[in-house]
Amino acid sequence: MPSRELDRGAVTGAPHAAGTVAVRPDADPAPSSILAERASRFVSADDRSDSVIAAILANRPTATVVHAEVAEDVPHIVKIRGFSLHYGEKQALHDVSLDVPVGKVVALIGPSGCGKSTLIRCVNRLNDLIDSVRTSGVLTIGETSVLGPETDVIGLRKRVGMVFQKSNPFPKSIFENVVYGLRIAGEGRRSVLREVCERSLREAALWDEVKDRLDESALQLSGGQQQRLCIARAVATRPEVLLMDEPCSALDPVATAKVEELIGQLRGVYTVMIVTHNMQQAARVSDYTAFMYLGRLVEYGPTEAIFQNPRCRDTRDYVTGRFG
Amino acid sequence: MSDSTEPSHLDRATPAPAGARVATRRSVLLLDRAMSLIIRLGGIGIIVAVLGIFVFILWQILPLFRGAAVELASSGRAPPGARLMLVDEWSERPGFLGADGTLTFIDLVGDAPAESIDLAGRVGAQITAAHLRPTTGTIALGLEDGSFALADVNYRAEFDDGRRRVVPEVNVGAPIDLGGGRGRVLDVDYGDSGRDKVAAAIVEVEGKLEVRAVVLTQRRTLVGAGRIEVRGAFDATPLVGGTPKAVLASSKGDSFLVVTDEGEIDYFFAVDSGFELRQRFSPFEDQPDPRISMAEFIFGDVSLALVGVDGTNRVFSLFVPEGQSVRTWGRTKQFPPLPGPVSAYTKSTRTKAFLVVAGSLASLRFSTTESIRWQEELPFAPRLVAISGKNDRILFVDESSRLHVYALSDPHPEASWRAFFGRIWYEGADRPGFEWQSTGGTDDFEPKLSMVPLLIGTLKGTFYALLFAVPIAVSAAMYASQFAHWKVRAFVKPLMEVMASLPSVVLGFLAALWLAPIIETRVPSVLLMLLLIPSAGVVLGLLWSAAPVAVRNRAGLFGELTVLLCGLLVAGALGWIGGPLLERLVFTVPDPAEPGRRIADFRLWWPAFTGADFQQRNSLVVGFMMGFAVIPIIFTIAEDALSNVPQSLRSGSLALGASRWQTAVRIVLPTASAGIFSALMIGLGRAVGETMIVLMATGNTPIMDFNIFSGMRTLSANIAVELPEAPHHGTLYRALFLGAMLLFLMTFAVNTVAEVLRQHLRERFRTI
Repeated sequence: MPSRELDRGAVTGAPHAAGTVAVRPDADPAPSSILAERASRFVSADDRSDSVIAAILANRPTATVVHAEVAEDVPHIVKIRGFSLHYGEKQALHDVSLDVPVGKVVALIGPSGCGKSTLIRCVNRLNDLIDSVRTSGVLTIGETSVLGPETDVIGLRKRVGMVFQKSNPFPKSIFENVVYGLRIAGEGRRSVLREVCERSLREAALWDEVKDRLDESALQLSGGQQQRLCIARAVATRPEVLLMDEPCSALDPVATAKVEELIGQLRGVYTVMIVTHNMQQAARVSDYTAFMYLGRLVEYGPTEAIFQNPRCRDTRDYVTGRFG
Repeated sequence: MSDSTEPSHLDRATPAPAGARVATRRSVLLLDRAMSLIIRLGGIGIIVAVLGIFVFILWQILPLFRGAAVELASSGRAPPGARLMLVDEWSERPGFLGADGTLTFIDLVGDAPAESIDLAGRVGAQITAAHLRPTTGTIALGLEDGSFALADVNYRAEFDDGRRRVVPEVNVGAPIDLGGGRGRVLDVDYGDSGRDKVAAAIVEVEGKLEVRAVVLTQRRTLVGAGRIEVRGAFDATPLVGGTPKAVLASSKGDSFLVVTDEGEIDYFFAVDSGFELRQRFSPFEDQPDPRISMAEFIFGDVSLALVGVDGTNRVFSLFVPEGQSVRTWGRTKQFPPLPGPVSAYTKSTRTKAFLVVAGSLASLRFSTTESIRWQEELPFAPRLVAISGKNDRILFVDESSRLHVYALSDPHPEASWRAFFGRIWYEGADRPGFEWQSTGGTDDFEPKLSMVPLLIGTLKGTFYALLFAVPIAVSAAMYASQFAHWKVRAFVKPLMEVMASLPSVVLGFLAALWLAPIIETRVPSVLLMLLLIPSAGVVLGLLWSAAPVAVRNRAGLFGELTVLLCGLLVAGALGWIGGPLLERLVFTVPDPAEPGRRIADFRLWWPAFTGADFQQRNSLVVGFMMGFAVIPIIFTIAEDALSNVPQSLRSGSLALGASRWQTAVRIVLPTASAGIFSALMIGLGRAVGETMIVLMATGNTPIMDFNIFSGMRTLSANIAVELPEAPHHGTLYRALFLGAMLLFLMTFAVNTVAEVLRQHLRERFRTI
């Protein structure tokens, strides 16, 4: 016990005492008391030598378990290597490495605050909107580096679509919402816009519901329709990667089912990274699943393997509902 | 563990009875009730206060739109056969000139016996004509021997035992010969400006009518006014076009008019050698019967009230017609016709009102506003009429010599819808127009109370202030909320709020004494800067977007800001330095002293080029300074509105590959439009009501143009300027309240429209 107390002091005290904000695998976003409480729970139950908590408390770097199926499923469109992120003094992502195969659906699961959303918001550099964010490591889409000062962020975002947790249709007509991406790219031909609008709405399985009222305000649609409209808006520019940040968390079960069905249809056409809280959803829609915990990527592999036969204890505890 | 020693917040041992546990304490209930009452009272109080102000202002301006109130006060008996009536200021001792030449004063309030003065005896000849000038109380008496005399009636107020007694005093001058042959004087009039005096008369000599005029002088010595002497006599008979019927001598002492039976008026004006016939006009030439029933001056003697034999009523005024150089008479007003020729006439000695009687119809008319103040069919046919000096009594004498005294209450004759909002042909003007000039140097000044120049001035000031403020404030708000680094924003917003707290009198002071003299000589610089600074912004933006991504990303937002600020500073400096150069190249006028040379001076160039004025305290200065006052208000509200646009919308747009500018313009701006709109409206309201800056930084001239280099007078500044001149409950006092009401209504209308539009916009851009 005394040694653990000492360790905890080292974990929390180190970054402040050193006064440094450099990437430190042992700097932790969670308050130390919570960490200790969790640790005591695990340690008293069982030997948790391979758990993330134990690694943090032992001031030991955590390892990511990557199943061979993922590494073999090439080509990879999104490559993340040794990626870390700080919000000011706090480190939110620790040395994350993750490759996303082309045309597949990758689900990011994990308890709240584990950094899933932060990670996918880095893929299109939307975290730039938050002041005081600093990143390190490598993140590429295709051959393009996403981080780094030479990146044309606007061009990057045209290649990466995003659907948000809360539907966010613009206060414009349905038509204008869908073609927004084309409009800002300078496309003005009515015929092209009409064609893209119809294709995107069909892809988002919304065409039949709204084809007679394209000029009405998008805000008059129901919540589920609004979310599918946002998907249509995201796919209108034919992005290479589609990021979805808990797209169904604000939807009722019927609407959720429709969106999930839609994701199933998008599979193969677009590479999808989806963050979800709902493990059944991850199991239903994704090809691969990545489990994140406390800012670390713990396990990454085929969805079936993660849910049926996880190799890490934390993953097993999480997918079986022992915490989260 | 330490937990066990701490007392538990749930004491399960002795649970209180349910009633006591759930009961709310009395003090809580009392406080709740008291506070809701106080809050309700406060809310209702504010509504009542605003409504109260509205009602009070309305109460102050309502009397302006009421007509004259006239009612019978008393009646009495006048001496029989009177040909002329005059009345004192207090209407206590009216005087009557009888056919026999006696002037009889009766007492209307006391019981003093009638007092008679034999004027004919004093002048030593029979009186054949008499003409009263009510303003001075002078009666010109025409005598049987072709001469005339002046009788001055002065009323003196004596007080004994605190009671007022009005005592008439009559001074009769020696008869003055009109020159020419001897005969009966049929009509005479006398005008006196103090320096120049003129008398005109129609004399019947051996069956022929002659028109004569004399110019008089009065030597003034240390001991007082001396004798009146004739300086020259003039026979106008050969020049008169028809049979003379009546003469009118102007109180300016420089001219007289001859009215003929044929319906023409000849206007004679004094020149060195006597008089010249300056104008002959026929005021009713378009009527079937052009003859004139009555022609008399209106107070001030620059307007003539004329009635034709058919009852047509017109007013002619003296003005300089466009393209001419001397004043002549021209028609300015047309009143509703009277039923027939005029039987009695009088005029007010304070205002431009005149009273005409035709048969038994009496009509009190106001020349300036072309309105009938009061009109009534009387139960008798008046033969003589007079208005008291205080403008509060009308005296009528009927055919049977009964005297009827009417109380007159008409405190605001100059006011009417037309006077405030319509075009009016003022005396001396060559066309109808909108004018504000509430007070003048002379008693016979005609107040000009048009609100239109003030409204125009208010709009002008507001327009230029917003023209300057809106682009800057809205762009600044957009920059602060959408583009700036949060550190910049944290610095800019409080700074703007400090700017809003600058007292406007300080801004006005700065504008008038510091900015105006600088801008006056540096207009080309200012123009150049207005052109260069925005274009520098655009050019820098283009260059910046052409720069490599790496450079831009490395510079960051602070680097961007630095580059932009330096660019703008350089552009401003260039404009400032380049101004005089531009002036030398473009804004030059020929030098009047040295032909062939040109002077580079914008102040001379602007009037020469546009024909408009250039003044030091002009709208440009007001625009800058009032803009300075309005910018923080618009900025603060607009910045809030822009910042309140949900982050999810911005993210959504940015995630689709929109640039910051595209996101700001296509998503943020429309979504925040309701808030920005109310920011503009509140800024507008502030600019409309702003007083000190416009008061100090403009010339306060009530002009009606949108020339940027001239001043203005706004409604609010007008109230501040004129308040010391406005006697309590006077017409000007109430007119100022009308200006306040207009301000109130303008702000109210602006706010209402703004609120309706804002609700509409908010409904349209409502985000979930």
